[in-house]
Amino acid sequence: MNCLEFRRRLGSEPASTLAAFVAHREECARCASAQIAADEFEKCIRGSLSIPVPANLADRIILAQTTEFRQQRRNSKRGMGAIVVAVAASILIAVVALSNRQTEMPALAGMVVEHLQKHVVSATDARNPIPKQDVMAAFADRGVRLNSVPDGVNYVHECPAGPYKSVHMVMPERGGPVNVVYVVDKPSQRSIDFSHDGMRGREVPIGKGSLVMLASSDGDFDAIEHSWKQAMVQGSTSYLENARAYRVGVDHALSPLVRNTFPAAP
Amino acid sequence: MKPVSASMSSRQHQFEALVRGHSTDLYRYAYWLCGQDALAKDLVQDTFLRAWRALDKLREVGAVKAWLITILRREHARLFERKAMSSDDIDDFDLPDPQATPERRTEESVLRQAIANLDPKYREPLVLQVLGGFTCAEIAEQLGLGEAAVMTQLFRARQKLKGQLGSESQNAEVSEL
Repeated sequence: MNCLEFRRRLGSEPASTLAAFVAHREECARCASAQIAADEFEKCIRGSLSIPVPANLADRIILAQTTEFRQQRRNSKRGMGAIVVAVAASILIAVVALSNRQTEMPALAGMVVEHLQKHVVSATDARNPIPKQDVMAAFADRGVRLNSVPDGVNYVHECPAGPYKSVHMVMPERGGPVNVVYVVDKPSQRSIDFSHDGMRGREVPIGKGSLVMLASSDGDFDAIEHSWKQAMVQGSTSYLENARAYRVGVDHALSPLVRNTFPAAP
Repeated sequence: MKPVSASMSSRQHQFEALVRGHSTDLYRYAYWLCGQDALAKDLVQDTFLRAWRALDKLREVGAVKAWLITILRREHARLFERKAMSSDDIDDFDLPDPQATPERRTEESVLRQAIANLDPKYREPLVLQVLGGFTCAEIAEQLGLGEAAVMTQLFRARQKLKGQLGSESQNAEVSEL
């Protein structure tokens, strides 16, 4: 490095540690004294650039950071909360959708309801339990052999349901009389609950056909469904016990709802 | 609310060490970049907050200052983009009151004004070199310039400062007469 190169470097990088720069300074007295002057000037520049720093700058930055950090954590918790709310909302929507599905009356049940609107059973006709043989006979006429007959059938009649053959019964239950219609040779795809004109209904596949129940309340549907499933099971020996366990108030008097629900035929 | 120190993680320790070690230099760099105390404080704070979020990306402890400077320069650029300002628009530096400094620092005050008057393209590499301690090569990398260009800018920056100081001292001599 010569003097010119040294001075150029000195003017741009006085604190340079380049070996050639340091070596030249060692061997050139004039450049060494120029370096001393440059160092003095550098000290002034450093002093001028070193403006006062605001008090507690670092503390303020750390405070801002910890505040932001806490805020983020709070937000992430809120985010979790939002996810929970979203999941709950999804479940609610699913439940609503499911309940809506339940209110759709299947076609077969529609035929049964249409028949029941024409064939109204009076309370007088369904006041007392009928002999089980009558029920057995009605089913036999429709080509269905029952293993047994559930208790508490107060009315039975062989009726049509649209193009299908059916057995129409009335079973007085705690929640009021239940119209029970067994549609022969027309099994539904799955069990389905529905509502129609303020009435509750259920269509359920049993044996080779479908059992359709219609009442002002669906509180007894499970027990009736169970008893008729037992009645259809071939070779079941425990049917009566099971039916008794589910049946309640077989002997109680018919509710006036029978008349209200199924107005007398003209 | 728990005190911060009670649940202080190693990450938090690292961050605090970073702040305490570099906030002073960063503030001064920010100040000479934007010329305003309040803006410089905001810039430094935003820089450290961004650094906190990206702390896991920091691999080399030796490169931390350059990393912070890079973040600060980006923050500064964003700030000026948002405000649709140019750094050349800074005419008046919010310089510390010279009267508030000791008498022996009068020359420093004059020099400070001279630095404020420098074109940003000369001032910025000078600040990076003197305050940041970066080499010409490192400054060139920071500013996206060639090393030779940086050397030239630094050389000219010093020449201009010397020139301004010379005229100031001449003015002072004239006024004394």
